[in-house]
Amino acid sequence: MGMVDGPGERRGTKKKQRRRRRIGFSLDMTPMVDVAFLLLTFFMLTTTFSKSNTMEINIPPATGEVRVAGSNVMTLRITDNAVAYCSLGDERPLRIPLYDAHDPRKFSLSNDLRSLLRRETTANSKLVIVVKISDRARYRNLVDIIDELNLMKIDRFSLDDYTPEDDLFIKKFA
Amino acid sequence: MARIKAKRVGFRLDMTPMVDVAFLLLTFFMLTTKFRPPEPVVIDLPSSHSEQKLPESAVLTVMVSETDALFMGISSQSSREVLFNAAIRPKLEAAGYTEPAVRDSLAHFRLAETFPVEREELSRFVTMARYADHGLRPVVRADANAGFEAVNHVISVYKNANLLTFNLVTVMEKGAR
Repeated sequence: MGMVDGPGERRGTKKKQRRRRRIGFSLDMTPMVDVAFLLLTFFMLTTTFSKSNTMEINIPPATGEVRVAGSNVMTLRITDNAVAYCSLGDERPLRIPLYDAHDPRKFSLSNDLRSLLRRETTANSKLVIVVKISDRARYRNLVDIIDELNLMKIDRFSLDDYTPEDDLFIKKFA
Repeated sequence: MARIKAKRVGFRLDMTPMVDVAFLLLTFFMLTTKFRPPEPVVIDLPSSHSEQKLPESAVLTVMVSETDALFMGISSQSSREVLFNAAIRPKLEAAGYTEPAVRDSLAHFRLAETFPVEREELSRFVTMARYADHGLRPVVRADANAGFEAVNHVISVYKNANLLTFNLVTVMEKGAR
């Protein structure tokens, strides 16, 4: 290791032979290759090509209103214990858990909620979904809902503030 | 068996092509690796199916940690300097900092990828950052378990600054569907 194994025994012979000496010249590249592979492994293992993914959302401006008939509005109220209350217009809200109980990792919304969303949007193509998330809920809930709506290609939805009236509305029917 | 071993005594293999490839890969990985800037807090991003990629430059990030603390980051250094001059310098000067001290903290601020922001100040900082660079893309980078109230605060700050299109940073969902 680390030795130059050229034709060393010829060193010190006649000057004529100096040029010829380099013909069979070989250098032990093993240490250099060792280091190169070490660095290569390091960079290969530390490089992650994962650029973060993003979801783009648009929110309506603070001023300006869009009027939609009450029957075309479905309100989705998310409370702190991950329960969704869906109501068409001012009808009595349906209580649906946001996640399936048997799905501990909470990757997707519950089947009930998904089928309800799919049913209502196919039944009424003008349906606008208003999502109201309680301040005590988690950010995860927002991302999961938007993700699900994006997957279902539902783009008629908007976010709205969850007000104390929404709490009262839920309590009234509970 | 013994004869085969004897054959390998003077064995030599030309390693040049392998070394060439190894160095090529090494150079590639060394040049493409960009070390992740140190994050002030660990943020456990929520997962989604979105495949849109986050732009690399001209990004205004507001981070929300699991404990609902807010951090802000601007990707370009010149915008950071403008933001510092507009928002932080008056405050430091009012607090009686000398000019070298202010310059020192500016140098520090230019290099800081993120800095903590108070809840009440976020609106002012976002407005100033927008003033520094109009093309900044607003991004929310929040922990999956952050309270919605804090995230909603950030969203309403964006809304008031008339930043109506923004991105939520997520990671690719691993569970198959």
